[in-house]
Amino acid sequence: MIPCLFQDCLAKGCFLNGHINLSIDGKTVICPPGASVLEAAEENGIKIPTLCHHSGLEPFGACRLCLVEDENTGRLMASCVTPAAPDMAVLTASPRVIKHRRNIVRLMMAEHPESCIVCSKGNRCQLRRIAAQLGIGETGLYPMPNYKAYEQANPFMVRDLSKCVLCGKCIRADHELVVAGAIDYSHRGFESRPATVHELPLELSSCTFCGTCLSMCPTGALAPKNNMFVGTPDREIPTVCGFCGVGCSLSMGVFSDTVVEVNPSRGKNTVNGSTLCVRGHFAHDFLNVSQRLTRPLIRRDGQMSPASWDEALDTAATRFLAVQKESGPSSVAFLGSSKCTNEENYLFQKIARVLLKTNSVDNGGYLSGRSALAPLYKRTNGGDRVRSLAGLEKAEAIVVIGADVTETLPVVSYGLKRAAQKGTPLIVIDPRQTGLSAHASMRLPLKPQTDLELINGLSALLVRKKAQNAIFTDHFTKGFEAFKEALLKLDLEKTGRVTGVTPEALDEAAEYLRGKSVAFVVGGGVLEQRYAALTLDALFNLCLMTGSLGHAGAGLYVLAQENNQAGAWDMGTVPDALPGRQPLNDSLAREKFERAWQASISPDRGLDLIRMIEEAEKGNLKALYVMGENPLRALPQPDRVKRALEKLDFIVVQDILKTETTEIADVVLPGAAFSEKGGSFTNLEGRIQFFNPAVPPPGEAKPDWEILDLLARKMGSPRRFGSLERLRGEIAGLVPMYAGINEGSGAVWVVEASDKELFKNEGGARVSFAPVSSIEEEGQSDSYPLTVILGSVRFHLGSGTRTGYSGRVREFHQNGAVELSPQDWTAFGLQAGDSVKLTSAHGSVVRETAKNSALTQGLVFVPEAVHNNDARNLIGLFPLGQPDSPGWKTCPVRLEKL
Amino acid sequence: MPPLELDSILEGRRSQPHQLIEVLQDVQEKYGYIPEEAMRVISKDLGVPLIDVYSAAVFYKAFTMKPRGKNVVTMCLGTACHVRGAKLLLNQATGQLGIESGETTEDGLFTVEHVNCLGACALGPVVTENGSYHHHMTPGKLRKLIDSLGREKTEDASHA
Ligand code: SF4
Ligand code: SF4
Ligand code: SF4
Ligand code: FES
Ligand code: FES
Repeated sequence: MIPCLFQDCLAKGCFLNGHINLSIDGKTVICPPGASVLEAAEENGIKIPTLCHHSGLEPFGACRLCLVEDENTGRLMASCVTPAAPDMAVLTASPRVIKHRRNIVRLMMAEHPESCIVCSKGNRCQLRRIAAQLGIGETGLYPMPNYKAYEQANPFMVRDLSKCVLCGKCIRADHELVVAGAIDYSHRGFESRPATVHELPLELSSCTFCGTCLSMCPTGALAPKNNMFVGTPDREIPTVCGFCGVGCSLSMGVFSDTVVEVNPSRGKNTVNGSTLCVRGHFAHDFLNVSQRLTRPLIRRDGQMSPASWDEALDTAATRFLAVQKESGPSSVAFLGSSKCTNEENYLFQKIARVLLKTNSVDNGGYLSGRSALAPLYKRTNGGDRVRSLAGLEKAEAIVVIGADVTETLPVVSYGLKRAAQKGTPLIVIDPRQTGLSAHASMRLPLKPQTDLELINGLSALLVRKKAQNAIFTDHFTKGFEAFKEALLKLDLEKTGRVTGVTPEALDEAAEYLRGKSVAFVVGGGVLEQRYAALTLDALFNLCLMTGSLGHAGAGLYVLAQENNQAGAWDMGTVPDALPGRQPLNDSLAREKFERAWQASISPDRGLDLIRMIEEAEKGNLKALYVMGENPLRALPQPDRVKRALEKLDFIVVQDILKTETTEIADVVLPGAAFSEKGGSFTNLEGRIQFFNPAVPPPGEAKPDWEILDLLARKMGSPRRFGSLERLRGEIAGLVPMYAGINEGSGAVWVVEASDKELFKNEGGARVSFAPVSSIEEEGQSDSYPLTVILGSVRFHLGSGTRTGYSGRVREFHQNGAVELSPQDWTAFGLQAGDSVKLTSAHGSVVRETAKNSALTQGLVFVPEAVHNNDARNLIGLFPLGQPDSPGWKTCPVRLEKL
Repeated sequence: MPPLELDSILEGRRSQPHQLIEVLQDVQEKYGYIPEEAMRVISKDLGVPLIDVYSAAVFYKAFTMKPRGKNVVTMCLGTACHVRGAKLLLNQATGQLGIESGETTEDGLFTVEHVNCLGACALGPVVTENGSYHHHMTPGKLRKLIDSLGREKTEDASHA
């Protein structure tokens, strides 16, 4: 819209933007064309009661509570569905309007059950509030309670449809926002209700338990199932979800210092709008479990016993310094956390680098393929960091590759499904059928780990079709001709053989993409596989070739599994870069930090997570500090990792929960969960989001940054930071990317800076094409004839340490059955309920089985996180992101029926 | 149940969500109800989410989710028929057959249903039997009608 130049033209009718002016309750108001009367009123601070209206949903007009009167015509109308028109004289609370509004509510109340007083929606029930405002206690009507389904078999939500007022918000949320198709109106008249297909319980429908409908329901018809709490929280505190890399904005309902409920925040322009996923909505009950760490512990004579903070920190500091002095900086290592805040990760690596002189710092982001991403980051030189998820819905075409988003990052999947619903071509590249498949324009079911070949094949086809974006390649890239030549030499027959995708299917996909600027959504299936780095290069080549960069809804949307995976890397908890992703071997960068920190920094890269384990095995690594990670559960070959870490002389674990790793620690320091401290997380978009504590930490536990601040002092740092503000001040000064971190509230974006022209306004270098590489067909070994694909389930995050403690997730029992194709199912003579043993070169798992009719013969799907994440037994502890390593996503196995 | 054969119904209508009601009508006609499996096939072939197929199927009284009996006896309980004793007719039918409205007898011979107004109020109380209208019904006439329908079918069966 063009900004208004003159206000006075409005009186005569706006000719610039078509603004409308009308009067509401005697006040002249102006609104843009197309606005409803309700919106016009709300914009001007005039409140109209509503039940079925929600700004995130299409207008519906079901409840008629928003009734207003037009004085000119005497007409009564539902303001939420009536467009504002010039010269309306609207009355929102005339005696006539009030009379009708009261009657509507009286009728609703006559149908409502009497259990209002103990309703868990309590004082937040909109119906109750409106009834109170209109002074309706007794309806004076013959009560007609409408006994309908009551459902609470699942551990997440209770549906008491006798309290339903048929506003349809749940249905619209389910269809318009999360596109799950779980519920719809069923039957009609007095009988009608929102129901699943055949009115089956939610767990037998396509419901994902995202709870979006529940947070929107204006009455107690949909309510969270809460075993420990009934009633209304004391206060609601905005915060950020602690699970995945989407970083949804939450509102935590707190009752006497306990988080009792979670809803999507009501903030504007949040990444998630009014949606959440099952983890964010329900799994935060892990915060209150008895396995929380509440006091420092020290191992004495083999037993863990409580200690004071002073004693625990003293022990940690002296032992670390002693080991470092005796065996050198390479004998100590620091494992930071992709779940801890930016401020904490900054302080953490600073302690390692300055006080212990080691670059052996890493974080859990390693597990999600950071090493494969690093070369890509270098290619753009930091110019391509910020990519808003909202852009996905504006994309011309979308390719989802190796990303099971409905399970891993559900909120991203909502956007993709909404885009597909609007007609955006959506291509899903995955060896398995995923939750997105049904929404896709087409599926390319390729053989595992052949994405590289497929992407090159697609690029080659587009070049053959002359569908490159010549203006873009001429202007911003170099080496296109050589790249084109290499593509034209590719043998597409071979592509077909290697990938198992027919040339016709590939051609169809190319047609979908032809002439479009494309958004690629890239997940763990690429990032954790053998050819991760090469595949990312090939994808980026395709982006360059099609001009899919530099604007919203295009480019590589690389998914982050953990909430602060991006931030931990930015803050330098990595072995080869300083804060701001400034390479260690860049002497200018190093000198800057040396000056600021008054310390010398070694230019040599330290140990990464895998090397830490290997060096511990060899006896070279002697002391390890682990903050907020659980390597004993998250890494491949957990038994081997345990043996390696047990060899250490000293291990400190700072965490919030009792884990496999705290069990072997010498000192345990109880930290605070994100809801119990202040800080910031950086999500996968590059949005730095701040939060303040919602509740205090349990017992003697402390915010992690405070623990580190105290520890640094004990290790010889001249002074403490003492506050988050001072920490942020230092970060802002040294890390240009985080110049905005001083802001301290709401959200700011990572600052992009690059020498590449594409990412600058003018001047600068061109981005080059990476060489085209090809892979060969792989045979299957006789001893391990099947291929396991490891994947996530949406109830858990990562290795499932925290979600595994969620009472509700545990109650929603998942047997973690391994899935087999119908052919293999028959070949192995399996029956429902049978268990099997899968054995790889590295270990084995025993699980129940399920037949998955969409799975290709020879593939076996093994869900991760469940059963203490035993799926990790199957894969080898190889480094990720290197072409000579087999990757962590698939592995050959043999199967025995038990 | 014989294997589902929907090709002839879906022919030329695939990927056209707006054909939903027509397709459901044809399925209802062919099978006498909407089999669960048919809903899944329709959902997939027309490109309509399953929940939407279900929601449409349960909205219209013309569709049924359960197989119906050979004979469908439908009482009108609309206002006009009601005041002329339609309730007695319903009691007669349900009592005689030992089922509730909406149910089918175990031998699969009868389904009893009720609707609200058949649009023939002047002739009430109205009962339809397999689509043909019976006006000015009385419990006695209804008993005979049901008896004769039952006999016919049993004879059919013994001839076969
Ligand atoms: S369950 Fe709640 S949200 Fe859904 S229609 Fe009923 S009142 Fe509205
Ligand atoms: S919880 Fe989510 S998926 Fe389930 S019915 Fe509600 S909105 Fe739909
Ligand atoms: S786990 Fe991820 S998608 Fe789910 S609520 Fe949290 S941030 Fe959002
Ligand atoms: S809010 Fe307008 S009709 Fe419900
Ligand atoms: S009331 Fe029975 S036909 Fe109208």
